[in-house]
Amino acid sequence: MPTIKIDNQTITVAEGTSILNAARSAGIHIPSMCYMEGCSNHPTCMVCMVKNNANQQMIPSCATKVVDGMDLASEDTEVKEARKEAIELLMSDHVGDCEAPCRVACPAYMDIPKMNRFIANNQFDKALKIVKEEIALPGILGYVCSAPCEKVCRRKDVDQPVSICLLKRFSEEETQNYLPEKKKASGKKVAIVGGGASGLSAAYHLLLNGHDCELFEKYEGVGGMLLASVLNGDLPTEVMVREVAVLDQLGLVTNCNVEVSKEKFESLKQEYDAVILANGTDGEIFGLEAIKTSLKVDSGTYTTSDPKVFACGSVIRTQKMAVKAIAMGKEAAWSVDAYLNNGKAKATERIFNSRFGTLRKEELTEYLKESLEGDRVDAKSPNGYTKEEAIAEAKRCMHCDCRKLDNCRLRDCAEEYKIDRRRFALGERNSVLKYINHDSVIYEPEKCIKCGLCIEIAERHGEKTGLTNIGRGFTVKVSVPFNQQLSEALTVAGKECAEVCPTGALSLRSN
Amino acid sequence: MNEIQNIVDKIIAEKGKDSDKVIPILQAIQGKFNYLPEEALKRVCDTTEITESQITGISTFYSQFRHHPVGKHIVKVCVGTACHVKGAKQVYDSFKRELKITEGDTDAEKLFTVEEVACLGCCTIAPVVQIDDVTYGHVETGKVAEIIEDFKNLAPSEEKQVRELTEDGISQGEIRIGLGSCCIASGSSGVKEELERTLADNKIKVDVKQVGCVGVCNQVPMLEIHKDGEEPAFYTKIKANEVSEIIKNHFRSENWMSRFKNRFYNYAENFTFSDVPVSSNRYNSTEKDTPIAEFLKGQVNIATEYRGEIKPSDFEEYKSKSGFEAFAKCLKELSPDEIIAQVEESGLKGRGGAGFPSFIKWNLVKNAQADEKYIICNGDEGDPGAFMDRMLLESYPFRVIEGILIAAYAVGASEGRLYIRAEYPLAVTRIKEGLEICKKEGLIGENILGSDFSFDLKVFEGAGAFVCGEETALIASIEGKRGIPELRPPYPAEKGLWEKPTLINNTETLSLVPFIIRNGAESFKKIGTENSKGTKVFALAGKINRGGLIEVPMGITIRQIVEEIGGGIANGKKFKAVQIGGPSGGCIPAEMADTTIDFDSLKEVGAMMGSGGLIVLDESDCMVDIAHYFLSFTQEESCGRCTFCRIGTRRMLEILEKIKSGNGRLSDLDLLEQLAINTQKGSICGLGKTAPNPVLSTLKYFRHEYEAHIKGECPAGKCENLIRYEINDDCTGCTKCAQRCPVDAIQAKPYELHTVDNELCIKCDICKQICPVDAVEIK
Repeated sequence: MPTIKIDNQTITVAEGTSILNAARSAGIHIPSMCYMEGCSNHPTCMVCMVKNNANQQMIPSCATKVVDGMDLASEDTEVKEARKEAIELLMSDHVGDCEAPCRVACPAYMDIPKMNRFIANNQFDKALKIVKEEIALPGILGYVCSAPCEKVCRRKDVDQPVSICLLKRFSEEETQNYLPEKKKASGKKVAIVGGGASGLSAAYHLLLNGHDCELFEKYEGVGGMLLASVLNGDLPTEVMVREVAVLDQLGLVTNCNVEVSKEKFESLKQEYDAVILANGTDGEIFGLEAIKTSLKVDSGTYTTSDPKVFACGSVIRTQKMAVKAIAMGKEAAWSVDAYLNNGKAKATERIFNSRFGTLRKEELTEYLKESLEGDRVDAKSPNGYTKEEAIAEAKRCMHCDCRKLDNCRLRDCAEEYKIDRRRFALGERNSVLKYINHDSVIYEPEKCIKCGLCIEIAERHGEKTGLTNIGRGFTVKVSVPFNQQLSEALTVAGKECAEVCPTGALSLRSN
Repeated sequence: MNEIQNIVDKIIAEKGKDSDKVIPILQAIQGKFNYLPEEALKRVCDTTEITESQITGISTFYSQFRHHPVGKHIVKVCVGTACHVKGAKQVYDSFKRELKITEGDTDAEKLFTVEEVACLGCCTIAPVVQIDDVTYGHVETGKVAEIIEDFKNLAPSEEKQVRELTEDGISQGEIRIGLGSCCIASGSSGVKEELERTLADNKIKVDVKQVGCVGVCNQVPMLEIHKDGEEPAFYTKIKANEVSEIIKNHFRSENWMSRFKNRFYNYAENFTFSDVPVSSNRYNSTEKDTPIAEFLKGQVNIATEYRGEIKPSDFEEYKSKSGFEAFAKCLKELSPDEIIAQVEESGLKGRGGAGFPSFIKWNLVKNAQADEKYIICNGDEGDPGAFMDRMLLESYPFRVIEGILIAAYAVGASEGRLYIRAEYPLAVTRIKEGLEICKKEGLIGENILGSDFSFDLKVFEGAGAFVCGEETALIASIEGKRGIPELRPPYPAEKGLWEKPTLINNTETLSLVPFIIRNGAESFKKIGTENSKGTKVFALAGKINRGGLIEVPMGITIRQIVEEIGGGIANGKKFKAVQIGGPSGGCIPAEMADTTIDFDSLKEVGAMMGSGGLIVLDESDCMVDIAHYFLSFTQEESCGRCTFCRIGTRRMLEILEKIKSGNGRLSDLDLLEQLAINTQKGSICGLGKTAPNPVLSTLKYFRHEYEAHIKGECPAGKCENLIRYEINDDCTGCTKCAQRCPVDAIQAKPYELHTVDNELCIKCDICKQICPVDAVEIK
């Protein structure tokens, strides 16, 4: 049995094993995209390259069999740079978004397209569940959010943006008593100073993560700046009450009419495992380090000069957008969670996101293929959407996000190698096309990395028409022979092709 | 059943139904319809093993195939390197402009389709344009309208008149005329017809002999007149209407006056002021300092042995000059091991580019255990600016065949393929003729020359894909697949054609084998350098006085080639660089002209032997433009498999475009260099691995030119966006330029100094070419 070395680790494997599999057997991770066990078409993507130390040559590990005595480098700078560049090149020729523009624009990063799809599919509880993964107070935001998401909704270039804010409100109002599951109790407790949007949001996420939470509010009731909206009639009191009640049900202990003084603050620090300052613009800084007059806070981890003390909301900077305050509360809570679990605060990092910008006119047509035609649905009643109206409106969503968001190898690699997606942004991009004429599969050729797996699988299934490469070189496209429909090309192999496709080029319609 | 189906069925009946027959079938269909009608393709799928996926993949991979009907005539504008540096792009644009083609490539009347072709192999008369079978050389943009007119006025070509010379009497001598592709492109066949007609009309008994490529492409059409008792005389650059005059100077006929009078004297009236035809030059072979003598001096003919002496398809003549002696010797006297030992001893390395020692490959195949083994002669010469293989196949078909036979015997191959580019029709014809003859003569077939050795050899015509010069892609192509290279190992020597051990050698490599066997390894080994033995054939072209096909000993310097053989730089310009090795090679600056030609030293300076294109560049050539030119070629020819080659070459090209247009930044140079290096590392085949060479070598030696572009200046005055056309005070106000300007950027004001409106100017260069007093300048 041949014995090889990868990064000086000795590995013995059976004759005929690929370097990639040898590495995997030893727990060495090598990224790869085009490789699939049993398929012959690799190597194409070249992200699995390793270096042969004997001659300094790069070799694709998926397609090279081990030879006794091989001495290879995988984690070496040169190798990693080359892999990174391969991924950057692939990304430069990949016209597709990971997340939809609306989600990217949402300060709370709410998965809007997914919510829309659940509503359109009459699964309102699932819609709310998605919403509440990111947003603690969707009912309230449904009334007061300035909806930056709608400003970037691509549907606005056709007629009007999707009524995202109203749909979110609908999802909450339709499923009022949704109570998310809490994680196992951690035994840690956190004090939150200030019961505004930010503090409530932080409390919600800390509670879900199994920490005990106690809130200290200066005034008679919680709500902070949100109360102004209640007072001027924008936000119904019952919505406020209902959403705060959910927090109570999750176990939040609220102490109203408690003004936290310097002494009180010091005692909170003693008593609790962490303290979050969310007491708005008039918050004191309790002797923590400051820059000019404001508290010095790390913008990623929300930590102050005291590692135990965190701050969010208007304490840092006056937050006019409630959704931004809510987003900060959540991120601060997650940072505290990390601190409580591992002793180290952690910034919320969004994973790699491919974006290509504004849709061209012809692309709008492609995107409209997946949505319902017609103007924005207006709620007839001031109480918001009826079920039918909500479903109709949700169906106007154009599904700008990728169907392979969570299982795209290109995205994974881009994230792993922290690529610069604009590094090779040269030349004119191609226009997005969507082939939707198939029962179960959707094909978006501009996301294809030309690995050829689908062609091989279709052939293996004995498809009469199947798929083929058209042209060669940079302009090569995977397509259906003689311009036939995708449904003719993939009569039985569709599902497998979609599952195997390393990117969102071929995906299951149901996603 | 309709007509298309009928035709397709006939083709299939002839070619077969197996999936590997797809390329020959497609070629035959296109031969009938001039393009591939979809209905025909579907018929193929319905009636053969070929699938829809396969036929679509293949017919869109190879550039030979068209999917739309074309015009009645095809205008092929050569964009090979030599043509490129002499303005091929402007010529192409000019054709489209003159034919008023704005969309697609065919004019409104469907009369002409304008195409770019990689290389017509007529580099010495660049720029070259071929309209159907008519070739125009030295095409200037200003002449395009005339060319189209000229072509339209051509009578439909008559059947070639072959006149028998049956007159009694002793031959007065021999006239040799070269009929290689470039000779024909320069008008040799017209000269030959005229020659035969004149001889017949005047009953002069002279042997007219067609010889292969004479190599002196810069002087063709050329006649060599050999007469007993006289030194041979050369006439160069002859026109058909000058033939009678030349013959009159050498040969007499009894009935000369009576038979020739009408033709000749009527004709001679046109030559009242000179008795020597104006455009042709006469040299005697004994003169030392003639261009031809200089050109041939310093060359060593092995692959091109008997150059200009033997008729390509004359089997007897090849035999009379020791042809097939080496092969016979192998069969009768030498064991395979002894043959391979000779090859090893000779130091022969592959001439296809990489310079891998031939004997290693031969041994691998010989020692491989298999029921069947194959040999492939790689004649898929796709480099723009290279035509060595074409010339060898056209001019020495028997030598190539003999080389294959020897190799086949040595490695134990039972079947072989000669893979020849479809763009080389003459080579295909000559080789096919040669194969027929060899079969008749018992050199191919069962029990060759009474031995146990049986061998069959066939031609496979490529379909237009440079990447198929790579051996694994070439094999895929023969097997009826897209020409996608495979990762090696396994090498073809273990697993090649149909998974059997296969020896693949370049045409030139195999052409050298008979010489080595016949004269012994020592005779080959004594030529060349320590690590590079023997000779190398180059296609010498570009900005030199004498271009052509040359065979030089390894170890010769670039300077010797440029200055001695090539006669230096044309038009008094300054020598700037040579580009060696085509798209895989690199640019070597003039200061390094003492670099010797051998595998190692070329690699050391960042170039490579490649297949042997050698383009000389002068001060008016922009190195950024040269890098861009080669990269646009490889980018176009990438199979698309590896990320770096598919997308990386494209991105490099875009960076170069940015720089060429004056929008580049200094940081782009680093990005370009980094990407070039990673593309070398991250591609699995030779095309991708070497595609960055032209970029890297120009960055290495001519970085200042890149930097100049970034500052907004093209020092050579080549890059369109960075230059202006201006007219200086020498202008006489003749309005010629104004009349010919296609976009009215020059106003026709007689006797006034003309000016160019650079806002309108499209940089077609017509004004500069047409100006009688050279008053147009590029700034």
